[in-house]
Amino acid sequence: MALIEVKDLSAGYENGYVLENISFSLKDGEFLSILGRNGSGKSTLIKALQGLLKNASGQITVDGEDIFSLKARQLAKKIAYVPQIFSFSFEFSVMETILMGRYIHQGRLESISSSDSRMVEEVMSLTQIDHLKDKKIAHLSGGERQRVFIARALAQDTPFLFLDEPSSHLDISYQVEIYQILKRLQEEKGKTILSTEHNINLVIPYSQRLMFLKEGKIRALGEPEKLVTKENIKEVFDADVEIRENIHSKLPEISLIPKEGEKS
Amino acid sequence: MKSRTKKLRLLLVLLILLVAGFLISLLEGPVETNFNDLWNLIINNDSTFRTIFIDLRLSRALLAFLVGASLSLSGAILQGYFQNPMAGPFVVGVSSGASFGAVLCIYLGLNIRIIGFSLQSIFAFASGFAIVSLVYLLSQRKGVFKVETLLLTGIAAGALASALTSFLIFLKADSFEQAVFWLLGSFALSDWNQITAVAPYFFLCFIIAQWLAKDMNLLVLGDDVAQSLGCPVNSVRKIFLVISTFLAASSVSVSGIIGFVGLIVPHGIRILIGPDHRHLFLFSSLTGGIVLLYSDLLARTLLQGELPIGIITAIVGAPFFIYLLSQRR
Repeated sequence: MALIEVKDLSAGYENGYVLENISFSLKDGEFLSILGRNGSGKSTLIKALQGLLKNASGQITVDGEDIFSLKARQLAKKIAYVPQIFSFSFEFSVMETILMGRYIHQGRLESISSSDSRMVEEVMSLTQIDHLKDKKIAHLSGGERQRVFIARALAQDTPFLFLDEPSSHLDISYQVEIYQILKRLQEEKGKTILSTEHNINLVIPYSQRLMFLKEGKIRALGEPEKLVTKENIKEVFDADVEIRENIHSKLPEISLIPKEGEKS
Repeated sequence: MKSRTKKLRLLLVLLILLVAGFLISLLEGPVETNFNDLWNLIINNDSTFRTIFIDLRLSRALLAFLVGASLSLSGAILQGYFQNPMAGPFVVGVSSGASFGAVLCIYLGLNIRIIGFSLQSIFAFASGFAIVSLVYLLSQRKGVFKVETLLLTGIAAGALASALTSFLIFLKADSFEQAVFWLLGSFALSDWNQITAVAPYFFLCFIIAQWLAKDMNLLVLGDDVAQSLGCPVNSVRKIFLVISTFLAASSVSVSGIIGFVGLIVPHGIRILIGPDHRHLFLFSSLTGGIVLLYSDLLARTLLQGELPIGIITAIVGAPFFIYLLSQRR
């Protein structure tokens, strides 16, 4: 039973806490999306949950174990992380990048075992990147690169998968593609997924629950049908919207109202 | 695999260059010698040229090789450490810092050995480590290094250390040659003692680096990513900083500052065989050794007298460095 429980988590950087008194739990097999404005603490929360922030207080447990007392190696067997797209100075190939996910399953001087290569092949076909195997990461498109990083996280073979804005810098078709892959991972591989996102409409059909963050605090947490209301969006994002029903999923969907010329 | 034959071919080329380099180094010098003399020494134990071959030329060639290997390994580590292929022991100021420590020790007249370590190399290590830690602290923000800040702080700190070194040398008015030695590097004073001062550290540091090579592959992706993949980032970083400084400091304390080798060799090797540190460390060390072996050969045969080797490495290295800067997107 995979479970992450967070109690009174406050966390941030050298100059103080960004997150305050965060409490929630991530349930086995669910897909939880974290939404909020820029600077609301989404990325900070994703990092804090992996014990990456030194300035943190409160309690986080993974399957009952305190993450602050786990070694990097042990924690990496529980949680895999897909960071925001960033640029590289080092030209690793797709294959080399995915194999990095196998680090925790290998000895220091060991090279690729048969279970490593089986896993790598499996995750490459899951993310449909077999044909990119020998390409350099720097030469890939944004969508391809994102799939490689998801593949690397999968190669880690963990129950939990955390993603930080997996759709940023991608065009609409890639955005949907990434979420289709995530949905498949949740359903076929039983992954528990926690992901931050900007695009509310994109995540609604894929998420069992949403979390609205504002100024480092949880403003709302629950099913999309209940959470996505005109009032909530106004309060959390400071944006005026109408809510309508998506003609395919029958789920709520926001519709932006263009701002009138404001009086000065 | 394709990349595998490429590596084997490169290894073969390097080994041929290595053997040829040693052979030429043994035969070339102010005293005329030929292959027969060398043959006689090895096979017939004819000791006419023993001192020249073994104590002068072989020790010098070995030292040049070891220093080149140490500097390049140090550079390969620092480039990974700072997640930046523009780093190197000279660029981030370690070499200049170590040189200051070594000169300070000489200036104070402290020629002592403590449990096998000469005080001079301890001084060199301490001041090199101080400089690199300073540069690390100044150029890092939230675990990310900005290239510009790294290079500028490294160059500024290096310039400061070099100025202090020059000042110390200047206080001892008799020592123009010393100044040249410390600031531009030379193997003219090589002997077997110096080899024992470099070789053990090189091999020890090489083994440690190789042991942690996979961790370095993760580290270049940034601390957060490395840790989420299971790398014990903090301890690995500490170890790498210590051994890269150690390599640079032990080199500097026997041969002065020899710039650019530690930058260019690992960079070039990365272009040839890719960024995997499990191979990068070995190939950089080997190539760096060969580069300095040949550079030293040039330094001592190009003109009548000795040319400081740092002049040769800088003439080749600095334009290459500028080229790398211009290639950045």
